[in-house]
Amino acid sequence: METTMIHEVTWVGVAIKALIAMLIVSAVAGFGTYIERKVLAWMQRRPGPSHVGPFGLLQLAADGIKLFTKEDFIPQYSNRLIFSIAPVITAATAFIALAAVPIFPDFTFPEWIPLLGGVFVPSIAADIDVGLLFILGAMAAGLYGPLLAGMSQQNKWGIIGAARTAVQFLSYEVVTGLSMLAPIMLVGSLSLVDFNNYQTGGIASWMIWQQPLAFVLFLIAGFAETNRTPFDLLEHEAEIISGFVTEYSGLRWGLFFVGEYANMITIAVLASVIFMGGYSDFMLIPGWLMMGLKVTFFFFLMLWVRASWPHVRPDQLMWLSWKVLMPLALLNVVITGIVVMVTA
Amino acid sequence: MDNIKITIDGRKCLTQEGESILNAARANDMFIPAICYLTRCSPTLACRICLVEVDGKRVYSCNAKVKDGMEVITKNEEILEERRAIMEVYDVNHPLQCGVCDQSGECELQNYTLELGVDSQSYAIPDTKRESVNWSSVLHYDPGLCIVCERCVTVCKDMVGDAAITTGPRGGAKLGKEAKESMPKDAYAMWNKLQKSVIIPSNGTDQTNCSDCGECIAVCPVGALVSRDFQYTTNAWDLTRVPAVSAHSSDGFQIYYEVKPTSISDRMEKIYRVTNEWNYTSLDGAARFAYDFENRGVVKDTEAFAKAVEAFKKAETIRFNSIISNEEALMLQRLKEKTGVKLYNSEVRAYQKFLVAYTVASGNSLYTSDNDKIMRESDFVVSVGVHLRNDAPGSKHAFNNIQKMNKGAGLYFHPIGDTLVPTFGKTVTTFTHKVGLEEVALYLVLELFADKEKLPAKTKSYLESFNSIQKKTIKEKVMQEVTETIVDEETGESKEIAKKVSQMLEKEIEITHNRLVELLGKDSEEFSEVFEKMIKKKERFSLMIGEDLYYHEKAENLARLVALIEQTCSFDILIIPPKSNALGVAQICELDDQSSGYTIGYNENGDFRLSALGDGDLDMPAFNQQEGTFTTLGKRIVPTNAALPYEGYELNDLMRELMDVEEETVDWTVHLPADKGYRAIAFDDLTNSYDNDGSDNRGYLLDISSKGVEFSEVDKFDESAALEGDIAYRCNPCRQFNDFTDKAHQISEAFALYASPSRVEQLGDSVEIEIGEKTWELQVIKDDKMEGDIVCIPDFRSREDTYGAFGDSRYRKVTIRKG
Amino acid sequence: MSLEQFKNRNIGEQNYKMLDIEHRPEKSWDRFKQAFGRSIKIELFIGLAVTFGIMIRTLFRGETHTIRYPFEKIPISRRYRAIHEMKRLLESGNYRCIGCGLCEKICISKCIAMDTRYDENQRKEVSEYTINFGRCIFCGYCAEVCPELAIVHGDRYETASEQRASFALFEDMLTPIDKLKSQKEYPGFGAVSPNADDNIKKTPLAY
Repeated sequence: METTMIHEVTWVGVAIKALIAMLIVSAVAGFGTYIERKVLAWMQRRPGPSHVGPFGLLQLAADGIKLFTKEDFIPQYSNRLIFSIAPVITAATAFIALAAVPIFPDFTFPEWIPLLGGVFVPSIAADIDVGLLFILGAMAAGLYGPLLAGMSQQNKWGIIGAARTAVQFLSYEVVTGLSMLAPIMLVGSLSLVDFNNYQTGGIASWMIWQQPLAFVLFLIAGFAETNRTPFDLLEHEAEIISGFVTEYSGLRWGLFFVGEYANMITIAVLASVIFMGGYSDFMLIPGWLMMGLKVTFFFFLMLWVRASWPHVRPDQLMWLSWKVLMPLALLNVVITGIVVMVTA
Repeated sequence: MDNIKITIDGRKCLTQEGESILNAARANDMFIPAICYLTRCSPTLACRICLVEVDGKRVYSCNAKVKDGMEVITKNEEILEERRAIMEVYDVNHPLQCGVCDQSGECELQNYTLELGVDSQSYAIPDTKRESVNWSSVLHYDPGLCIVCERCVTVCKDMVGDAAITTGPRGGAKLGKEAKESMPKDAYAMWNKLQKSVIIPSNGTDQTNCSDCGECIAVCPVGALVSRDFQYTTNAWDLTRVPAVSAHSSDGFQIYYEVKPTSISDRMEKIYRVTNEWNYTSLDGAARFAYDFENRGVVKDTEAFAKAVEAFKKAETIRFNSIISNEEALMLQRLKEKTGVKLYNSEVRAYQKFLVAYTVASGNSLYTSDNDKIMRESDFVVSVGVHLRNDAPGSKHAFNNIQKMNKGAGLYFHPIGDTLVPTFGKTVTTFTHKVGLEEVALYLVLELFADKEKLPAKTKSYLESFNSIQKKTIKEKVMQEVTETIVDEETGESKEIAKKVSQMLEKEIEITHNRLVELLGKDSEEFSEVFEKMIKKKERFSLMIGEDLYYHEKAENLARLVALIEQTCSFDILIIPPKSNALGVAQICELDDQSSGYTIGYNENGDFRLSALGDGDLDMPAFNQQEGTFTTLGKRIVPTNAALPYEGYELNDLMRELMDVEEETVDWTVHLPADKGYRAIAFDDLTNSYDNDGSDNRGYLLDISSKGVEFSEVDKFDESAALEGDIAYRCNPCRQFNDFTDKAHQISEAFALYASPSRVEQLGDSVEIEIGEKTWELQVIKDDKMEGDIVCIPDFRSREDTYGAFGDSRYRKVTIRKG
Repeated sequence: MSLEQFKNRNIGEQNYKMLDIEHRPEKSWDRFKQAFGRSIKIELFIGLAVTFGIMIRTLFRGETHTIRYPFEKIPISRRYRAIHEMKRLLESGNYRCIGCGLCEKICISKCIAMDTRYDENQRKEVSEYTINFGRCIFCGYCAEVCPELAIVHGDRYETASEQRASFALFEDMLTPIDKLKSQKEYPGFGAVSPNADDNIKKTPLAY
């Protein structure tokens, strides 16, 4: 990036980037399930999937085959249209959010490749100026997936799941937004590339040191946004069967799954880019690898927490959001504002 | 029978004079262990375990009679020690094969071993090899398991009368001297005897050749005696006991059908064996072994049922036999009352007529005695016209039992010689008279027993006309006292010594010669001598009347004679019903003499056949598939239960089509005719048990009324009526009674000609026999216990129609050609 | 606990031991302090450390609790009562079962049925034998009561089958004749106790 060579961003490059992002995220989502099962197993003194293929790797394929071949079931008294659309909303919003997320560094196709030779593929499919806002907006729109799914299926567990979705997502959207406001104020941009560039000065320049509270709040809210333990109340098996996915099976259920993992990756990427220095090189380690490591760490953290901590109750969740996290986030914004004002 | 008081273990008990301590205790619900003792049989004194202390002295309670005020102690330390030693001895060398033993835990050896706390063994002796043997087609004996309690021997001798088994040498090791010194006295004595004996057939062969009643199996306390058919088939605990009545002989024996599903694959119930309360009743072979005569696999055949209803609508006659419950008999009677259909029953009609004639002559609505009463009270029994062995097993038991138990005597009148009856007792005399002289027999009874003053003058003079006084010179031994003078050789003194010397003197005496005795084939003088011994100390007399008299030209006169005997001789009369429920049918149905027109046969021949044998036009339940009541020889109405399931139609279903009647067959029980002595007791309220003292609580007794009547006139007999020539007698072999016994797989007696050994030699293997128009080709089978030339033709197969061939008499002249 | 105490259902009078639960904060400030304290207390992260440590041990020291079931099985307890086995006599290979029917008698769920017959040597022989495993509750009474140690509980606990009958017949339970050598004595429920010899009272065996 130091050679400020400006590449032309063509629609072909964007399309390729989108395709790659989608494929990779889908694959990673699938692989994520394998990793999740493995990690949880290890943390519970089990070997995890180990029977299908080497180290159980083909378990992924087996699950995929199972999902594809399962009966596509729509309950008799459900709203068929909404029931069918809901999983698509979840998956689509998750991928749309990814459009403004830099997944890995940009590159140019070598000249010798026919057709695509010389095409520049950007790090972000759409490096729009309101990147962060877009991501938050798209992820917030993802709320409709579970909400509609739960309400359309004519199942009391689904309804409870949907209600919890509405409450949980809306509440934590506030915390996410407020916690990110302080770094935005520091960086002065909504573009994630700018965030990355803000933190190029080694570990010391990472946002996490300037905004530790914002980082913690964002992480907590991120867990809630992605419906992970300890905040996985939407489909809390012990209480409400499977919540909004109770009546889903096969590929539709798979779409929810992919959406959830895509969201997890989004949050992991956001956390990496906003607070942990993004994809800048670190000593000898290239930036793309650093990015990979960071994302992996956050992904792993989600599994780790799931293996270690218990659920909270819905009332505790609300209490935490409105009485603790939101005031703290506001406080953080105010303090940051004062500091920015003073130093500017 | 005086009531006296004794004390058993401090408890005051009421009992009767002459009762044994053991029975007194049992009747009062006190327990004294006993292995070898059988109620109604004489004490064997083999086990010695029933020993008790009476006023400080040890006695065996089965043997010792009660005395007023006696104090009995059933257990103290010494007695228990002795009993324990006895049980230990019984356990010496007893095979530990309880797992496969057919007694399967119903074992008195096991029970008493545990009861007396035998938990170690202090005796030992080398065992003797004893092979198990089959004694007959039904009996299996394993001497290895046998404890030689001799119950089988006792029951066979004292109750059944066959005396087919006895104790024989065992060849066991001798007990050592030290045993005698160290062991309790009774245990040693018992062991000493045990080591010497084993049970063997008494006729010297390895076959029992008895009536195969299986009573020995029933009484065996261990698994030594079992039925060959039952052996190793099932365990006692798997069997469900269904209380029932034996359907075959008229005794109406109490039995239990023991049922269980046939096999793992076939869950249909099957009867595995028949057991009885052997302390209170003894079965014959048919009751015990002829149990699998059920009509299996029947379903409701609506077409056949519709045809049956049609057949009933156009029927003029219903022909049936005596294998029918009281309820069914009542149904037929009701049908007769409604439609006027004739009821024809060749087995019962003659009996019914005889009973009516008896009732008219005697004023009693029914005969006054029964087998149990005879056994309990009589000490002199007379049997006329019953072929005891084959016709009436229960009466045979009674006849035999009083000889053994009541120091009784017996007179047996029958044209067919029998070698078994004289063995019942020393004071049993058999008359093998000519056929047709049954009246003579009854006149002789009158002559011998009647209170002559009571007799009508005409009869009295008629009887006297047979007596003539003859003078006879006999030689008599007389003891005379003679005085001799003897000179002592040493001293030279002469002494007078009185000496007894016997001398034969000739003496002329007057004797009464009775021509009746001569007519019946015995020497009058010899008989009067014998009779003098027989009649000594006798108090209660009984008369058994059998089927020969019902099927007799002069049956009515015979009935009057029987009545006269009852009135003048203080006899108890038993008029034995010929078959199954003959008494019930006779009481309930108004039978017709002839059948005519379209006939429905119920287990009989007919144009439309209802049959429980599975070969008729409509299937009926067999007697072991039915509920209902049965009128026994003992005038008891006893309930019987369905041992096996039955899915088809019953007679009541037909009746419900034809008349407006009860829902269930047993609903008829309360409607049995009260004027015949029946009571309005519902089937479910009928009891079915025996008390500890042996009193019978099965069902209820027919009410019998009696009114005083004038002595009716009896006809003189006609001695020329005696049949001569080849004579056939309608008589079933032992254990065969009807089609159902024939169907049972353990009853092997064939439909054949039965004859005495000497007659069989003349006849060869098979013969052609002609009675009137009927001709049979029959195999000839030897009956070892028969004598004389008369042959027996069975009537158990209804399709052979033996009744039709013989008609009004049980004896017919026949033409026999060698086959 | 005696039976009387056991049967006493009057909970009001029993002496329960109350847990020492800390006082709930009543003032808002106290509640805030409690929440704050709990939030930053190290315990939350000790949980993470524990699970991480376990993961490390599982990954690098192979400390898993998993038994790869169809491929490896743990030895079952000798008192475990699985599908029955019918034993043979070691010398002759004949059935040990003598057809005494005690198992049938004692069976409390009435699932054993047997047919016996008279064999050619005039001995009792069991001809058919079934156990209805749909009803069997594996109480072990049959094995306990068997005088010949003929029916025992084996180690076949995988009772899933297309038909119940797959286990039910005598032949299925019987030791195959060619495996007679490897027939193992049953050490568990109903077997002869190790001190059985001492419990037997001596019978004179002079002959």
